[in-house]
Amino acid sequence: MAEARRSHTSLRLTVPSAAPSPAKPARWRPLRDNPWLVLLGIAGLIALLAGTMTLANRSSRLAPDFLSEFVLYALSVVDLTMLVALGFVLARSVIKLLVERRRALPFARFRAKLVTVLLAMTLVPAVLVLLVGSELIRNNVDRWFTAQMDETLASAQRIASDYYHERQRQVSDEAARVARSLAAVDLAQPDVRPVRDVVAPIVNDQRVALIEVYRLPRGNEPSGTLVAVVDVASPTMPIGAIRASSDRLAMRATSDQPDVWLREPLESGGELIRAASPVRRPDGAISGVVVASVQLTGDMAIRARRMTKAYESYSQLRVLKQPLTGVYLSFFLLVTLMILVGATWMGLYLAKRITRPVQALATAAREIGAGHFEHRVERETADEFGSLVDAFNSMADELATSRRRLERSTVDLEQKHTEVEERRRFTEAILERVATGVVTIDEAGFITTVNPAALRLLGLGASVVGQAAAVVFHEPDLLPLAVLAQPRGVGAKDPPAQELSVTRDGRDVALAVASTRLHSDDGGSDGRVLVVDDITPLIRAQKVAAWREVARRLAHEIKNPLTPIQLCAQRLQRQFATAPDHVKALVDECTTTIVGEVESLKSLVDEFSQFARMPAPRREPTEVHDLLRRILVLYDGLFEHVRIETLFAVALPRVRLDPDQIRRVIINLLDNAIEAINQQGQVVVETQHDPGTSLVRIVVADDGPGIAAADREKLFMPYYSTKKRGSGLGLAIVRRIVAEHGGTIEVAENQPRGTRFTIELPCEPDGAIVGGAA
Amino acid sequence: MTSGRLLAIVLALAVLEGTDTPRSIDVSAVAREGRVYVSCTFATSTLDELGEAIHAGLTTSITYDVDLQRPLWWFDRTLASAAVVTSVQHDTLTGRYQLTRTIDGRNEDALVTDDQVAVKKFLTAFAKLPLFSTAELEANVEYVVRLRVRTRPRVTWFVWPWEPSTATGSARFTFIP
Repeated sequence: MAEARRSHTSLRLTVPSAAPSPAKPARWRPLRDNPWLVLLGIAGLIALLAGTMTLANRSSRLAPDFLSEFVLYALSVVDLTMLVALGFVLARSVIKLLVERRRALPFARFRAKLVTVLLAMTLVPAVLVLLVGSELIRNNVDRWFTAQMDETLASAQRIASDYYHERQRQVSDEAARVARSLAAVDLAQPDVRPVRDVVAPIVNDQRVALIEVYRLPRGNEPSGTLVAVVDVASPTMPIGAIRASSDRLAMRATSDQPDVWLREPLESGGELIRAASPVRRPDGAISGVVVASVQLTGDMAIRARRMTKAYESYSQLRVLKQPLTGVYLSFFLLVTLMILVGATWMGLYLAKRITRPVQALATAAREIGAGHFEHRVERETADEFGSLVDAFNSMADELATSRRRLERSTVDLEQKHTEVEERRRFTEAILERVATGVVTIDEAGFITTVNPAALRLLGLGASVVGQAAAVVFHEPDLLPLAVLAQPRGVGAKDPPAQELSVTRDGRDVALAVASTRLHSDDGGSDGRVLVVDDITPLIRAQKVAAWREVARRLAHEIKNPLTPIQLCAQRLQRQFATAPDHVKALVDECTTTIVGEVESLKSLVDEFSQFARMPAPRREPTEVHDLLRRILVLYDGLFEHVRIETLFAVALPRVRLDPDQIRRVIINLLDNAIEAINQQGQVVVETQHDPGTSLVRIVVADDGPGIAAADREKLFMPYYSTKKRGSGLGLAIVRRIVAEHGGTIEVAENQPRGTRFTIELPCEPDGAIVGGAA
Repeated sequence: MTSGRLLAIVLALAVLEGTDTPRSIDVSAVAREGRVYVSCTFATSTLDELGEAIHAGLTTSITYDVDLQRPLWWFDRTLASAAVVTSVQHDTLTGRYQLTRTIDGRNEDALVTDDQVAVKKFLTAFAKLPLFSTAELEANVEYVVRLRVRTRPRVTWFVWPWEPSTATGSARFTFIP
């Protein structure tokens, strides 16, 4: 039984409960897992790279200050951003990998290695290229600025500048010379011929291309302006030369500013260099202004301007050497960082793409190992990993199906096991409660089970289980059991039942033992079962019945002749009333004896009749303590030297009994006890309640001399008495009354001395408890 | 040396490298006739550094960012701001300098000269420019005029987004209507 329980337990342990996998929300697919977005990102990166390269190619056409102020700034910001992004990606990846490794997550080491290798494969060449390229750029930029180039461009610029300054000085000198020549001329006179006479030869000599003479306004003319007097131009001067600039220049000359001149481009492509000089009268006062202009032809001006422009461009490049170097280095750094960021991202992406399906499979394997058979892995790709995921999911499906079958089988098995267990408990309960002793012995002759009744009847301990039957039953009174327990052949018949008598607790017990072979499913033998029945009550009842029959017959046979005998004796007595005295005395003596003995016989016969015709008990719920108190009242003061003590239980349930018959039983026992102590001593009346067996015990004990153990069982036999007088039917009637109430009466030695009668009467298991010890 | 200590030293060096101490300039401010007049004199050494750029024909400018602030506990509250920009364009052919000065984008002054002293003076100093109105100022309260100078073009090989000022200066005045 215990084995079956263990196997049942192990079955539960080996089959874990199928906890359903928790429902997981639909996982959002990351953008990086979308191939189109990845391709789009790569295309964007390539476009950015191409744009950067295009910008780098066109950088030479951009203004240097634009390069330094805008392009360099933008590139610096982008570089810093890329650097921060790269640092962030790297730091995040490193921290993540470290955390994953510390947590011992699966594939953390593999991912770390993969990312490290990919990064190293990209980082080393990229940094090398960056270093070499940077050095090349710096060297190339340095080569732009050579001393020879410096000298050449500076000389060209100086030539152009000197030419300009020479022409400017020339025209200034001419203006000053004309102004001195006009010092004695009245510029305000209406006739301008004297002025023209001074100016025209100079223009005709082509020393200047244009001379314009102004005078200060007169008193009635508006102040703040100059009045044009005359202008003489050479034929090469383009028509419509700018007059406004000469007016402003003339005005500046009146304010005594030195080196009043300007350069003015012409629409024809040439330039005018103009210089102004004030005309001073002999007293030093300014009377007018002379503006002289020389013309630079278009080719000359353009060449000079080109030379200057080249010099300026070169100088600007020199000034902006560092920013330009920075621009190119930034371009290079940008490309390098883009490659590094791309490589890092690609490494992480590849590592994740490779490890994630395997990681998901490992996680799913753990989930399924934990009993979550509904867990599945989402298929993300159509490659070999996808096939692996499909195979895994198929395996999980089969496992789930097998698990469901196993669960159904387990349920069926548990149901059957429960039924078997219930049947086993039922059988065990029967064997525990049954009064018949059952001993099972295996084929090897070893005791496998013994029920409590067998232990009690055979006087054995529970330790006999597992011992050889031959050893356990070696006592002389149990030897027949050893014979019955001997293994026999499969075809051999079961031995006949045997009766044996054993002594238990000082009384003889009659047992009937039968041996039956246990058949196994394959037709073989699983051992034997010994069934032991206590047939003592049966034998006792048979004896009582026999005695009742004897008593009835004796009463019938004896009582009939007693009345004639008594009547005859009385008749004899009356007939001899008149006889002589000695005859009369003899007859009286004899007839009196006969009548007395007949009366005794009648009394004896009445007792026999009573024993033989004991009426059936009329049971009713009775309070035992109340009944006992009413009985004990009868003994109050009756015996001076007898002390009757009561030890009543705290509470007793009502017992269905015949109060009159039980009163007779108690009185009989009390009388016997008082007689046993020779009306001097102590008698104890005790009650007990055993809820486990639903029994009420009534004990009557005395402290008399006691009864020998061999005589105790005989006490309840009819016509057995230890007293000198009496019929010997008292205790037999007592036992019969108790037996007809479904109880038992036992006699035992009282401690420290005397005799102890114990009556056990059944009570209702859930009967009302009536309390109170008196 | 532990990695933490090494990192601290690297960070300290980076901070020192990035914090080029700005040069000081003389600033004075006076409130009069409803305007706050600001004068400034800037060290000409800066112009010497820009000389190569100027003579290469690059448009070179000096921007003065002027803030009118009111001291309030340990920080100052900016009441008004103005940007004075002086720029110069050199004609290498004629050797002349064309100078302009704007206040908040408005042309304020112009000069054409070949005198380098005048150029330096025009670029590095201005006197009594009416930059702010006194309408918002409270009487008998001390104010601060802070001035930061930035120069263009920048001739470094790497441009930080957080450009430090070339020079800074400040002047306090008490507004007495």
